[in-house]
Amino acid sequence: MDYSKFVDAVLENDETMITKQVKVITAVLIKFLTVRMNASFEDAQDCAQNTLLIALEKIRNDDLTHPDALINYLFTTSKHEYFKVLSKDREVNYEDLPEHHSTKADQLHRLVDQEKMSLLKRCMEALKADYRKFIEFWFTNPGYETAVVADHFGISVNNAWTKKHRIINVLKECIEKKFQK
Amino acid sequence: MKDSRDKELRRQIDAYIKGNLNETEIQALWNEFAKNPELLDLLELEVNIKELIEQEAASMGKGQKTQSPIRKLPRWTWQAAAAAAIVLVALVQLFRVDNTVSLDQMVVQNIAPAQLETSNAIRSKDLSISSADSLLNLGFQAFLSGDNDRALTLYVMVINDHIEEPYGSKAYLNKGIIHYNTGEYEQAVYEFEQTIERVQGNRMITEKAYWYLGNALIQTRDLEEAKKAVTKTYQLDGVFRSPAFKLLKKLNEELGYSDTEKVQ
Repeated sequence: MDYSKFVDAVLENDETMITKQVKVITAVLIKFLTVRMNASFEDAQDCAQNTLLIALEKIRNDDLTHPDALINYLFTTSKHEYFKVLSKDREVNYEDLPEHHSTKADQLHRLVDQEKMSLLKRCMEALKADYRKFIEFWFTNPGYETAVVADHFGISVNNAWTKKHRIINVLKECIEKKFQK
Repeated sequence: MKDSRDKELRRQIDAYIKGNLNETEIQALWNEFAKNPELLDLLELEVNIKELIEQEAASMGKGQKTQSPIRKLPRWTWQAAAAAAIVLVALVQLFRVDNTVSLDQMVVQNIAPAQLETSNAIRSKDLSISSADSLLNLGFQAFLSGDNDRALTLYVMVINDHIEEPYGSKAYLNKGIIHYNTGEYEQAVYEFEQTIERVQGNRMITEKAYWYLGNALIQTRDLEEAKKAVTKTYQLDGVFRSPAFKLLKKLNEELGYSDTEKVQ
């Protein structure tokens, strides 16, 4: 995703390109808000759309041109939009104050997709035995350093990373093939 | 160059999933996701793989036949565990001390799974803290699926690698609970004592440790020491206060002490 091209498209009013890129950015922002802010999908969708409307206006006014600044602006604005939703929707319940002050951790489990999981299950079953054993060990022992995993399988740390990446790629390709069917 | 950057980003994704990135690193990674949404797809894929593997590990554990009744718990285990804990507390609070009830009948027979300590939340701060949280959660998962050996191994890993609080005390407490439930009371006593030695300012862990230590000591027939632990539980004035009071009265009776102390 080239944000300088996005800026150019906005400035040149290239609707086709804007629509295409807005779709990609919206998807990223929705995931950002659901994972990082634990927003509901609907809230995340609304906030992402509002964020893009605001950002488009900024770009048109020439206030936002640098790609990195634009990315930061998108994330920051989407967070502010979500805070606005929260402040509208909720009143502070002083009886339910959390035990300790800490920001909520990222909700990575929000990325779990049941449809993908069922395809993934079939892809996992089709994995070579040593690949399956390796990836299961990797994810069931998240506390282990890569060196420990490498030692367990009698390979170097670099090879452990390579093997993990290779397995992920195999699973990715398998899922893509199944999605296309 | 691009290849090494790609490798680095993949390692960052792995670290993110394992909770090993700090706030700045996470935001930097999201900036990369914004530039390259394919990386976000990769994160999503890895999260799903992890979830699938964890689910399969949990269901495999449930499928194995063992002597532990916990293995038979169905998918609603979490709710059942919480309900069981509530019922247990309610029953113990309603319990009337009467001379027809023996000391053995008054001690905790089986500690509910909900009493095990897990992570407070999934954190994203520091490598060791996040790893310890994951290990505690995996230990709990192993315990729920009846794989006590694996649960104990995971808790030993927490103790060996993440002794900082509250992880050390949580791991010892959980080990104690597992040993208690398998009837290894002397080992349970040791684990609960270690919990008490390590715990720092965590009232709930302290209370559980003293309460279950007292119960384990009764099981080993060390009633004098049991009385000290149960007294301490009572003094902590928490959720175990009422059962501790009743157990204390019974212990005094067993030890031949006159029960004149008016503890309210």
